[in-house]
Amino acid sequence: MLSKSQARAFFLGGTGVFTLAFLALTYDSHKQVPRLTNEDQLSEQVIAGKKIWEDNNCMGCHTLFGEGAYYAPELTKVVERRGKDWMRLFLKDPQAMYPGERKMVQYNFTDEEIENVIAFFEWCGKVDLNGFPADPPLGRVAAPIVTTGKSNVPKPQMFATICSACHMVGGAGGNVGPALDMVGTKMDREAMKAWISDPQKIKPGTAMPQIPMTPEQLDEIVDYLLSLSENH
Amino acid sequence: MKFKTQKIAYWFFASALLLLVLQIVYGFIMGFAHMGYDVLHDLIPFNTARAVHTNLLVVWLLLGFMGSAYYIIPEEADRELAWPKLAWVQLISFLIVGVVAVVCYHLNIWEGRKFLEIPRPLDYLVVANVLLFLANIGWTVWNGKRFTTTSIVLYMGLLAAALLYLPGMISFDNQTLDSFYRWWVVHLWVEGVWELIMGGILCYLLIKLTGVDREIVEKWLYIIVGLTFISGILGTGHHYYYIGVPRYWLIVGGIFSALEPLAFLGMAMYALAMAKKGGRKHPNKTALTWTLGCAIMSFVGAGFLGFAHTLPQVNLWTHGTLVTAMHGHLAFWGAYAMINFAMIAYAMPLMTGRKLWDTSASIWGFWISNIGMVAMTAAFAVAGVSQVVLERRTGIDFLQVQKEIEWHFFGMVLAAALFTVGILLFILNFIRYGRPTDEALGSDPAES
Repeated sequence: MLSKSQARAFFLGGTGVFTLAFLALTYDSHKQVPRLTNEDQLSEQVIAGKKIWEDNNCMGCHTLFGEGAYYAPELTKVVERRGKDWMRLFLKDPQAMYPGERKMVQYNFTDEEIENVIAFFEWCGKVDLNGFPADPPLGRVAAPIVTTGKSNVPKPQMFATICSACHMVGGAGGNVGPALDMVGTKMDREAMKAWISDPQKIKPGTAMPQIPMTPEQLDEIVDYLLSLSENH
Repeated sequence: MKFKTQKIAYWFFASALLLLVLQIVYGFIMGFAHMGYDVLHDLIPFNTARAVHTNLLVVWLLLGFMGSAYYIIPEEADRELAWPKLAWVQLISFLIVGVVAVVCYHLNIWEGRKFLEIPRPLDYLVVANVLLFLANIGWTVWNGKRFTTTSIVLYMGLLAAALLYLPGMISFDNQTLDSFYRWWVVHLWVEGVWELIMGGILCYLLIKLTGVDREIVEKWLYIIVGLTFISGILGTGHHYYYIGVPRYWLIVGGIFSALEPLAFLGMAMYALAMAKKGGRKHPNKTALTWTLGCAIMSFVGAGFLGFAHTLPQVNLWTHGTLVTAMHGHLAFWGAYAMINFAMIAYAMPLMTGRKLWDTSASIWGFWISNIGMVAMTAAFAVAGVSQVVLERRTGIDFLQVQKEIEWHFFGMVLAAALFTVGILLFILNFIRYGRPTDEALGSDPAES
């Protein structure tokens, strides 16, 4: 049977061999990381964004590269998913975007800080993560296409960047709020304008945020939404 | 207890239990937030509660390890602790650092790196503190009347834990490298050198409680910690699948993580075999129950549940979800909380001279806390798997999924309440022991 000195040799030998193997792989990984992470694109702005990410312990709620806490969304590809306009608006006042929902701390970021954070996420989104986060394989089941989303009014910029983060039109967009293809059959122009201008006033406790916009932008969006059901 | 200076362990254990209670309080804050009752948001936002919860865990476990070392090392080295007053300085300064860090988290002051949140100046204080501890213990071992494998393994574990704290203090502009070296601390601690510490304490307890020959217990200790390192070092790869390092980590991490449960299985079989083999019937059954419970629960929590999501094919979907929290809770409880409880249950009657080891509070404390923790883990598992299916597999929006799983957190909070009752019973028993006294010298039945 095994003696104590043999057991000790097994411990020391095993530890030694696998430590060396680990250090060798570390060395190789370290060499490949600049290529895999596009280190040449690691600008001052990205680094400043990373500092904001750390100084506020964003990882205490969110995950990035799947690492962090599980209380708030994964942010690796957030720029791709939400778009910069939406993020700018959201980071200004997070709770306004999700009234009555799970809260994010209001950090009162300056415009510059918001741009830095977005630059950081944009850089993170381009890192080669071996396929993470994967596209949902059953995604189509959850997102049936209702209409074609055709309209003779061009899709307003505001709708494409902000509204569609939560609402679908023609099967594309978010699924937090209802799809809006047929909304024109349920609401007239005035009702729609009143609702978008101040959702909480019409239906207290609704998840629909009050998005700051000019009267022109509001008209554009209402025109677009009304045209959807007319063209159906 | 054989030496007067072993008594210092009591104060480390008492501080550890106090911080554990505080950790549980912050856990409840998070549990309620997950249920939709984030009522303390303005005072204690989730990221604060989270940082406090995990950091207090680390601090109280380390305090427990230090207390265990202060109890074990003099006995193993067969001499008084080198500098008992220094141990006091070290305890108090460590507590101050911990409290200051917790206060900082409430003021949005931190480093913002998971598990290593403490602000940089405090990092240096931790290093200084741990150096004091290592010097004190090291000097005692070095000038001891005898060298034992148990004390060497325990000391090596503590020393390596201190050294591995350092890579976490290097900062990188590249998030990938930041994450890469952060795991050197976090993974190589909990799935590497902490297991040396755990193995050393377990070995000591088995020698004392079962009466099996030291040579045999220590021989197998080498095999177990050998298996731990062979699987655990390259097992770090399971944190490297999706952070921006080369693809070969999927293979390396996958294979060696699959071996990690074997080390824990070995540990459980080793403890059970020694207990069965032991001729001596030590009267402290509660300590033996915690010791064997620790060996078994660490296999279930750290080994089995870890393996449940470390294969890259599974981890692609579970990475960054509540499934991780499911594994984390039972792993830390089984491996590291329970070894501390075992050591406390063993040392208390010997330091105080009061034989309260098999009171109903101590027995119920064991069962209720364990059943509570298993139920919590089950609730996390249901919530985590639901999240994976709804969010990752079918693409439903994050917040909508979180609403769907709120009820599982209701179950989790109920289970946590049960767990807390168990912990409070253990603490009640701890308080009833009273203070350590010199009159308890020579009280260990294992010494006769």
